[in-house]
Amino acid sequence: MPIEKSDLLQGTLDLLILKIVALGPVHGYGISQRIRQISKEVLQVQQGSLYPALHRLEKRGWLEAEWGQSSNGREAKFYKLSAKGRKQLASEESNWNRLAGAVSEILQTAH
Amino acid sequence: MSWWKFFLPKRASGVQLDSELRFHIDELTEANMAAGMSPEEARRRAMLEFGGQEQVKEEVRDVYRVRILDSTLANLKAAMRFLRKSPSFSATVILTLALGIGANSAVFSAIDAILLRPLPFPDANQLVLVKQHNPKDPNFRTFVAPVRLEDWDRLNSTFQGLTGYYTEDVSESTGALPEKVTRAWVSPGFFHVWGMSPTLGREFSPEEETPNGPAAVLISDRYWRRRFNADTNLVGRNLRLDGHLYPIVGVMPPSFLFPNRETDLWCPIPAGISYGNARENNWFIVTGRLKPGVTVTHAQADLATIQSQLGRQFPKTDGDLSVTVDALKETTIAGSRRSLWLLFGSVSLLLLIACTNIIALLLSRATQRQHEIGVRFSLGASRGVLISQLLTETFVLALIGSGLGLFLAAATSDIFRSLAAQLPRVEEIHLDARIILYSLACSVAVTFLCGLIPAIRGTRGNLSGSLAQTSRSQVSGRNPLQWFLVGIQVALAVTLLAGAGLLLRSFQQLGRVSPGFDSSHLLSFQLSMNYGETGDLKKLRQFTDRILETLRATPGVEAAAISVGAPGVPLKYQAELKLVEGRADSEPKLMVDNRFVSASYFETMRIPLLAGETCRETGGPPTVAVNRAFANVYFKDKSVIGHHVQSISGMGYAGAAEIVGISGDARESGVDQPPVPTAYWCAPLAEPGTYFLVRTHNAPMTMAETIRRRLRDIEPMRSAYDFAPLEQRFSDALGENRLRTILLTFFALTAISLACVGLYGTLSYTVNMRQREVGLRLALGALREQIVKQFLVQGLAVTSAGCVAGWGLAMASGRVLSGMLYGVSPTDAATLSAVIFLVLIVAGIASLVPAVRAARVDPMQVLREE
Repeated sequence: MPIEKSDLLQGTLDLLILKIVALGPVHGYGISQRIRQISKEVLQVQQGSLYPALHRLEKRGWLEAEWGQSSNGREAKFYKLSAKGRKQLASEESNWNRLAGAVSEILQTAH
Repeated sequence: MSWWKFFLPKRASGVQLDSELRFHIDELTEANMAAGMSPEEARRRAMLEFGGQEQVKEEVRDVYRVRILDSTLANLKAAMRFLRKSPSFSATVILTLALGIGANSAVFSAIDAILLRPLPFPDANQLVLVKQHNPKDPNFRTFVAPVRLEDWDRLNSTFQGLTGYYTEDVSESTGALPEKVTRAWVSPGFFHVWGMSPTLGREFSPEEETPNGPAAVLISDRYWRRRFNADTNLVGRNLRLDGHLYPIVGVMPPSFLFPNRETDLWCPIPAGISYGNARENNWFIVTGRLKPGVTVTHAQADLATIQSQLGRQFPKTDGDLSVTVDALKETTIAGSRRSLWLLFGSVSLLLLIACTNIIALLLSRATQRQHEIGVRFSLGASRGVLISQLLTETFVLALIGSGLGLFLAAATSDIFRSLAAQLPRVEEIHLDARIILYSLACSVAVTFLCGLIPAIRGTRGNLSGSLAQTSRSQVSGRNPLQWFLVGIQVALAVTLLAGAGLLLRSFQQLGRVSPGFDSSHLLSFQLSMNYGETGDLKKLRQFTDRILETLRATPGVEAAAISVGAPGVPLKYQAELKLVEGRADSEPKLMVDNRFVSASYFETMRIPLLAGETCRETGGPPTVAVNRAFANVYFKDKSVIGHHVQSISGMGYAGAAEIVGISGDARESGVDQPPVPTAYWCAPLAEPGTYFLVRTHNAPMTMAETIRRRLRDIEPMRSAYDFAPLEQRFSDALGENRLRTILLTFFALTAISLACVGLYGTLSYTVNMRQREVGLRLALGALREQIVKQFLVQGLAVTSAGCVAGWGLAMASGRVLSGMLYGVSPTDAATLSAVIFLVLIVAGIASLVPAVRAARVDPMQVLREE
């Protein structure tokens, strides 16, 4: 069953976006596709959350955006990670791992 | 990119957002088509999957909405909640600031209108006052002969125009009763130099400015409203001025108050007018407008060159003369500058005290709120957010305070204006946008000045620790910063009080001075006259005698006299006299204050005669009485009576006059001026500006109406005006002195009240914090007197330290007051001691209340609470 917007913690979406953008410049459509593909259709991001998140991250200076040609020749807005964003990604990733580790630890030991 | 965009938040451009989202939908559509849907179906599904486009856009835009605004609004709401929750604290701060900012804005409005703004004429910085001087004779008249003015105007290269005027009071008799009006005679180009033209009607025509041209008069806005009820159809109507008809050609705008605010009319003087020896009769006041870019020094150099040419051409009349040029604004306001800055300085000290007070209040407040702040820290609020919220609270208080202050300033502006009636340009003082802006700036400054330290300290350090303990269990009652602030307040208050005390002392000294004459029961007034009447001395004497006879015959009048210029009011008639009998060159020159009076003057004023006789009104040459200072300074150990004196500079009477008597010293040129050598020239000759003095049996003003009616019977064409008891003229002459004394005293009293509030508040706070300690000590057997003494001593120790600092400040700033004091030195020890004694008493009372409260602590209660 796909996990929809309301179930996805906001911080988690930011982390996912940062991670995907870290792989190389990509537009909004591409980000939503990749999240779906990589999560094997488990995570489905609503555009109503994706675009505000992208713009918020851009405003914070973690993403940089520029207009360019998409693979099929259309004008698209490409996002890429800034130096600041790279640092943020690293810290959020380690946070997430700690949290996930702790949660699964609890889940395993508590039954 | 414009620089200001830097301050605006970045914003998603609508067009860019549109194309970004459209790209997404297009890609979805394409993917759907690739999956085998028809183009329409693919698009429909894509739109469906994408969801509400408008909603997405709205949410993206939300990202860019000004966060500052939101957080400011939240801060404001929190601040309002905080204020409502602690009304007495808020009221204290608001009232303190209302006083501080209100008084500051009020004084600033005066400074702005009088000192900072240009005069209310177009390009007013080009306007200058031009005077002539004779370096060999410091008392030479600075008025200018019309011919000389015309020479300057013709030959200079630095002025757009030079013009002259003089004023006199005349009687206007088209109404039921003759009315005195003030007329300025103005030379051609006068209004051109001022850059002003009539609001109604026209300026003088060239014909009206030529000799024997048609008569014309321009009237002031004030006169137009008073006399003609602002009738717009009055152009062409006639005024009868001293019996001659003058058609009104126009009305000047209300802002045109030149030469002074009493001016009712302007009449043209044709060019080339002169009396007697044209270059010797100096009677014009000269103003000019500089060419753009020309400086005052440049213009002065230009006129100096021209004057030295004229000096070679006319060595007898012009050889000794030099010229000075001064900015008109400077000459208008120079006299009031020190008083105003003094007031501004003291009112700023007051604001500083208010701020210090508020810092102390906020600091104690912050300690009480430690718990709240600790909670918010632990909930993740950043320090910046908390500081900005605390600052917002202070700002709201400051804003309400300054609003209330402005209201107070506006409400009391009438009182200020009546106190300040002697100041120049006082009619230009208004509460306008600049003043509101100024008080707004004050509130911002106050916010940072008062709010920053408490906000930073309040959010400092390991506050999560404060969550663990309640403030009750803290023993710390030491708050050195707060006590330091109290000390500063006391020091500043002592400085202000010392200034006020010195001014009050000098006022008191002035009140004790005997002026040398009896000013009670003296009524003074003027009669409308013009200078044309001073040509026929015989007629003038008959006229003056007849008036004086009529006055003396009025029941209730004891004596009547005339004096050119009111006695006791500053007016300089100093000039050098020549002794006809000759005088050794080694002896000092006879620099004498010359007064022109009737023989009855001494009797009317009750100035005692010390030797000889009072001057006689002879048919021939006048006689002179001198005062004791004259005899002592110039005729030590010699008899002065019987000598003859003669005027040198052509003022007064040409002939020699015999000195017939010596009178007592009277403070003729102002109660605050010591008597100077004076010669009284006895001549019953009234002229414009002459005061009639009447000694009455009863209160002086009760006679005014009777006298007015009597004079109307014998002089129906003249108006009697300017009735006032002589004592009132004295006190008016000290108006500026009184203004600064009253205001400074008010500021100083406010300051000491604020300082006491600060002392009381801080001590109460300390007492509260140490309640538990006190309770324990009482339980362990401490005496209540010891507790009272301890807190009292703490309060008084800080006060004393403040007093010592204040003494130093007062001594250092005493210099500011020099020249404004009379009979008391700026470092007068008695005044300073009295001030410090007063401060210690008041501070003692302010400390006693919390100290006694501390000792009333019930030990059982405190211990039970633990």
